[in-house]
Amino acid sequence: MKRRQTFVVLGLLALLVIFPLAIGSDYYRHIFIIALMWVVIGSSWNLLAGYTGQISFGHAIFFGVGAYSAGICTTKLGISAWWGMLLGGPMAMLAGLFLGWICFRLRGSYFNLATLAIAEVFRLVAIYWKDLTEGMQGILIITTFRSKIPYYFLALGLAALCVFSISLIIKSKWGFYFIAIREDQDAAEALGISSFRYKRLSVMVSSFFTGLAGAFYMNYMGFIDPEVVFSLYFISIMAILVAIIGGAGTIFGPPVGAFIMVLLQELFRSSFFGYAPKWVSNAHALAFGLLVILVIRFMANGVVGDLPKIKALLLGDKPPPSVASEN
Amino acid sequence: MEMFIQTLVAGILIGGVYALIGLGMTLIMGVMRIINLAHGQLMMVAMYITFVLYEFLGLDPYYSLLIAPPLLFLLGAAIQKYFLNPLLKIDSVIPQNQILMTVGVGIVLTETIRFIFHSDYKSVKTSYSSSTFMIGSISWNVPMVVAFGLAVLLTACLFFFLLKTDTGKSVRATAQNKDAAMVMGINAEWITQLTYGLGAAMAAAGGTLLLPIYYLFPDVGAPFTLKAFIITVLGGLGSTVGAIFGGLVLGVAESLGATYISMALKDAFGMVIFVLVLVFLPGGLKTLTKV
Amino acid sequence: MKKYCGIALGLTLAIFLLGACERPPESAKVGIILPGTGEKAKFGEIEKKSFEMALEEINAAGGINGKKLEFLYEDDTGRPDVARAAAEKLLTKEGVVMLGGGYGSSETFAIAGVAQQDRVPFLVSTGSDNKITERKWDYVFRLNQPVSDYSKALESFLTDIVKPQKVAILYENTNFGSSGSKTFQETCERLKFQVVMNEGYQSGGVDFKPLLVKVKQANPDVVYMVSYLMDASLIMKQSMELQLSPKVFVGGGAGFTLPEFGQNAGKAGELVYSATLWYQTLPYPGAKEYYEKFIQKYKMDTEYHGAEGYSSAYVIADALKRAKTLSPEDVRESLTGTDLMTVFGPVKFVAYEKMTNQNKLPTYLVQWINGKLEMVWPKETATKPYVYPIDWEKVWK
Repeated sequence: MKRRQTFVVLGLLALLVIFPLAIGSDYYRHIFIIALMWVVIGSSWNLLAGYTGQISFGHAIFFGVGAYSAGICTTKLGISAWWGMLLGGPMAMLAGLFLGWICFRLRGSYFNLATLAIAEVFRLVAIYWKDLTEGMQGILIITTFRSKIPYYFLALGLAALCVFSISLIIKSKWGFYFIAIREDQDAAEALGISSFRYKRLSVMVSSFFTGLAGAFYMNYMGFIDPEVVFSLYFISIMAILVAIIGGAGTIFGPPVGAFIMVLLQELFRSSFFGYAPKWVSNAHALAFGLLVILVIRFMANGVVGDLPKIKALLLGDKPPPSVASEN
Repeated sequence: MEMFIQTLVAGILIGGVYALIGLGMTLIMGVMRIINLAHGQLMMVAMYITFVLYEFLGLDPYYSLLIAPPLLFLLGAAIQKYFLNPLLKIDSVIPQNQILMTVGVGIVLTETIRFIFHSDYKSVKTSYSSSTFMIGSISWNVPMVVAFGLAVLLTACLFFFLLKTDTGKSVRATAQNKDAAMVMGINAEWITQLTYGLGAAMAAAGGTLLLPIYYLFPDVGAPFTLKAFIITVLGGLGSTVGAIFGGLVLGVAESLGATYISMALKDAFGMVIFVLVLVFLPGGLKTLTKV
Repeated sequence: MKKYCGIALGLTLAIFLLGACERPPESAKVGIILPGTGEKAKFGEIEKKSFEMALEEINAAGGINGKKLEFLYEDDTGRPDVARAAAEKLLTKEGVVMLGGGYGSSETFAIAGVAQQDRVPFLVSTGSDNKITERKWDYVFRLNQPVSDYSKALESFLTDIVKPQKVAILYENTNFGSSGSKTFQETCERLKFQVVMNEGYQSGGVDFKPLLVKVKQANPDVVYMVSYLMDASLIMKQSMELQLSPKVFVGGGAGFTLPEFGQNAGKAGELVYSATLWYQTLPYPGAKEYYEKFIQKYKMDTEYHGAEGYSSAYVIADALKRAKTLSPEDVRESLTGTDLMTVFGPVKFVAYEKMTNQNKLPTYLVQWINGKLEMVWPKETATKPYVYPIDWEKVWK
């Protein structure tokens, strides 16, 4: 199983590498670049939430901080936004530590709401601290490369690095501790696992990669403003959905989820690339909402988590009794 | 001094409506332990119903109070029965999928409305929409005063229901301890449906009362969902009295903050209060009393 | 498992390849990006209809040297990231020869960035932030006045007629609001008016009373507001409730000139002034005809945004006709040589102040009189005399 899995992964990777060279259209490259970016964000969220059980509703904080780190390099420091790729991660980590310091003492719903609220505060600060962030006018830079190909490979590299690092972490002792905290924080503490320490480590890694994704976004899209990068629905909730649809608590869940979410969204927004009637495009958000409901209702463990169920459905067998997640 | 009183009045009046919306959410949170991220959207649906009744039947929004909340009650109960209850039986890694289901429901509600009505702003212009009366030099906006009064009335009804009727007591029992309640013979499943419906109805009432003052568009719900959270947490999850105080506190804080510090940061105040309460007073105002 | 992955992957790739095939162009295609949904949808609708109306006329008159002109519309939903993606899609997937439209300033800014970078001309019809044409981007052209010019007509009105001492500025916290309020503050400082308040607010608010109470306390002579539609109506209604009575209320365009403002604000909008960029009685050929034809055709009102869209279409057509070829560089070259009279006014792209490729036009002042928007200043072009001083008690009874 392991062997076959590695082959599949390598095969998919190879396809991803060839993709931008085989498909000439920038439009499709763009879709894949965005999907790869979401692989990073979704996997990062998954590490904190799926594995460590801290369900953050405010992941936009890290994305936004990363994006603004890159943007401010240009507007205030006069250096290229690419330095943001080095700054974005650490700055987001600081935000992560800050978030943890406030929120980790909270449990369950309180934790969820607190992360959501803090993300909103960051968004409002970004709007009103105009001297730092240019407020609602946003930051605009001329992107370095006109071709999308360099960005594609950068995104691919980031995604691969992120998934690989996280899989290493999960398989290590840290991974065990994270899962222990997720399953029963008090029991873990009783066993001598410092929940604060490991939650902090988890959020540091999680925020680091999300910050990197944010810095990448600044460099790739060339324009950011507070509503875009600190968005509750389009960043924070999207991150949760990516991980859940793919399969929370699995390594390959978020990557699968990222591609599904991005492709599906674009499929609808463009009315199936122009082959469907126009009103389909207007209904894309509705389709999105319905998708969320369907997935949560019937596939709560995501595509990867419920893979046995899906396989059984496609093959016409009886579905397996209960679902176990990949640990 | 006049500025202070005017600001205070504005804050209290809007606080009454906030409290109504918050009450709905605290009920849902108290009984079902679900964060209802579709709360504002339920309110929005009620507002559209009220709007349609006004546009096509000429029905004054205040009469819609008899129609929209009951309709939303049914909608809420249905949502609970068909979408949320089934989730309780699924075992999954993330226990929070109920919240995400409400996210999905919220999106579907918003987008369906958008599909039907488009994103245009709609408003209801009644003869009393902008009328005010002056007490001294303080201006009181009539619809806001009426909204406040009706909100108080509805809250009183809710209290009566919860404290004096059997069903109401069952709701409180389920909120305190679901398993114990079931052991005592209470049909918890039915109670949760009732509660969600009731929560939706309260949000609906808030929306209907708000329509003459504000305006309507499909995305109007989201900020109110956030406000409802703040109120709920401020007052204490599940505490109805807490929600009332929470609503008033939020209304006044926003108002005073907007006048004395900055209107621009109005929303931020709510958030900051929220976080402060979470950190320093996790049980909410409820813990200060014994209700 | 591999088998299913393979099939799924193959299917996906097939769909992509199908879509990636492009068809050769038979008409001159121009991409127009406007808000179709969201807060600014109303304005987007007026502009789009104006573009469409112009397009019909242009093609009926022979199109672009015999070739059909085609407008491909994209909805930026009022968000700059969507605007940017729309621009890229139009450029790469549809292969348009130039871009037009651009309503919200943030969105316009994002589109301009893409256009400049990909070296495809972009004619801005509405986005007003000065920054858009201050970057020395030679592929970006703007038809409409920049936000710093919006209040030019107001200036002479204030210095000649109202002679205020204190001014309060309120603005919506968007790109348009921030830039509009900033430039008006600079204007006031130049004219030696004291700015007692310059405050932003989050749009979509229910209750502006806290802010308005502060304004009342400061007792200004002029209250200048920059906002889109709904906030404009609410602010005026609540000002009336608080009996806030400065010498004049002035709007900075946008929400204040829409017909809906008059309907929504009712008597609270009466005698409110606003800056505007155009009015149908201006002595530009075709202005009145455009206004009347639009109302007749679409059964709805139009105003300066519509005129911007309509004129943009003509400027685009004119440039494409004069261009040596339809390559982006030649179209750009042709645009720089534009010297055309449109319903919006004469269009010629010059450099002034810090801007380049900017069309220079005067602005005007309108006032809501008896529920109708009338042009009141400068006197030469006025349709009705301005109403000043104002007895607010009588108006609001």
